[in-house]
Amino acid sequence: MKENVGQKEVRRDIRNSVIAVVLAVFFLFPVYWMIQISFKSDAETFGKILTYYPREFTFEPWLVNLQDKTFLLSLRNSFINGFITMGITLVLGIPAAYGMGRYRVRGGSIFLLTFLVAQMLPASLTLTPMYLIFSKMGFLGTHFTAPVAIAAASIPFAIITLRPYFKSVPISLDEAARLDGCGSVRAFISVMIPAVKTGIITIIVISFLNGWNDLVYSMTFNVGEAMRPLTANIYKFQNAYGTKWNCIMAYGTILVLPVILLFIFLQKYIVGGLVAGAVKD
Amino acid sequence: MRKRSLSMAARKSREAYCFIIPAFIYMLLVLGYPLIYNIVLSFKNVNVKNLTKGGAIFVGFQNYIDLFQNDTFVLVLKNTFIFTIACLVFQFTIGFALAMFFYQKFRLSGPVRGLLLVSYMIPMSVTGLLGKNIFSNAGLVNNLLGKFGVSGPEWLVNTSTALIAVIIMNCWVGIPFNMLLLISGLSSISPEVYESASIDGANWGQRFLHITIPLMKGSMLSVLMLGFIYTFRAFDLMYIMTAGGPLNSTDVLGTYSYMLSFTQYEFSKGSAVAMVLFVCLFIVGLFYLRLLSKEDD
Repeated sequence: MKENVGQKEVRRDIRNSVIAVVLAVFFLFPVYWMIQISFKSDAETFGKILTYYPREFTFEPWLVNLQDKTFLLSLRNSFINGFITMGITLVLGIPAAYGMGRYRVRGGSIFLLTFLVAQMLPASLTLTPMYLIFSKMGFLGTHFTAPVAIAAASIPFAIITLRPYFKSVPISLDEAARLDGCGSVRAFISVMIPAVKTGIITIIVISFLNGWNDLVYSMTFNVGEAMRPLTANIYKFQNAYGTKWNCIMAYGTILVLPVILLFIFLQKYIVGGLVAGAVKD
Repeated sequence: MRKRSLSMAARKSREAYCFIIPAFIYMLLVLGYPLIYNIVLSFKNVNVKNLTKGGAIFVGFQNYIDLFQNDTFVLVLKNTFIFTIACLVFQFTIGFALAMFFYQKFRLSGPVRGLLLVSYMIPMSVTGLLGKNIFSNAGLVNNLLGKFGVSGPEWLVNTSTALIAVIIMNCWVGIPFNMLLLISGLSSISPEVYESASIDGANWGQRFLHITIPLMKGSMLSVLMLGFIYTFRAFDLMYIMTAGGPLNSTDVLGTYSYMLSFTQYEFSKGSAVAMVLFVCLFIVGLFYLRLLSKEDD
């Protein structure tokens, strides 16, 4: 009798796992599709028959991209976008989350409301005015314009995600630091930040990806191709490659690669952050 | 003694402001000021001609009146709502089903659940590229349909099918996100509630209707509202996949506003469209914030 129940459990476990794998294969098939096209030869890409895997495997489409000067500049710009966005977010977001999580402040709920609302505002709303402002100041076509705008979305995310982390750190921890003679800034840097390490890794990853994934700000504030990141130069390369889908998909795969690598290695931080950022507290 | 503790409190409060104010000022400068600028802009007639020379004047509600008398704008507004509602329906129901499935404990539940999120993480512009490829005439979708003897339409060429293709691509991104949030909602229901219901003889359907749904009401509502806020402002996907075409059939408020501002350089008209987008989001956003503050109590 007992064995029967156990066997039933095992069978259920196997059945569910099989269903899960089938779902994952179905769901991730488009990603596989993109990657496999990126290793096809021109002849196979333009062939009459649609093949589901490269019959003759070639790195040619990758090399076409990697030998293109504009591509390499765009790649660099994507990294610049990611890192500047991350920098602004960390410098402004972490202290604000600390201030809101650790202190009872008059008007604290107004601050929180402001950041919640800020997170909901669409890019379209600030795009035109920001373009006109940057244009008057002569800032268009510089590396920091897009990250400045993107950070306005990732700072609220950082605050909403990190605030509960700071709240949950035991009070005795920073009191001890203060008794040791630490000023509040030193207590913040040397005690509090290490205590919320998990949350901070989440912010680092997500704010970098916000910068990396941005399309609309980067293409609006930078007209020159040499200043645009990969996302914003998709059009240029689509026109250049026509229907050479193998080259276009190699482009897309390279653009996705850092995202997938970050995801594989830091999945637990990303997943936790997505839930925390969307559902307050 | 009392005075000292008061000054302690004052000092603490000042300290807190020092931490919060820089981020707050940043938001005012980068979001608050442009937001007000955008409102003003939508009541003027700024375009590429008078931008540098000056001479733009206030035109009252003229931009808004023009918009609502323009058939293209009405179509765009309709598209935005169809897109948003269709995406919400599919990504929510499928996301919910997947959440129920992956909430069960089995060996591959955790890893596969994480894997599904890949589609949510990749840049929307790449999702657009992919959509353009698999919905092309001889692409993957029509190839698969062909295997079942169905000859698929020219998805991105027909005005009646292009929006469907865009919706499918967006759901591909939205489903795992909905699933993730709904799983965290499901985890907040105590298993004891289910156990006692099972003992009372409630079957699966009864438990779902009388326990899961009522207890999930809050998180279901917040997932739907959040979904609305994120879907209604779509831009990247259409911009890359269809550029709003054919014949504006996949144009939404985000892309239309961009086109007015940065292809036609009618900045005031573009910002008026953005204002319409904002007002719609604002209404839903208010409900969402009220829901959040209720959960706080």
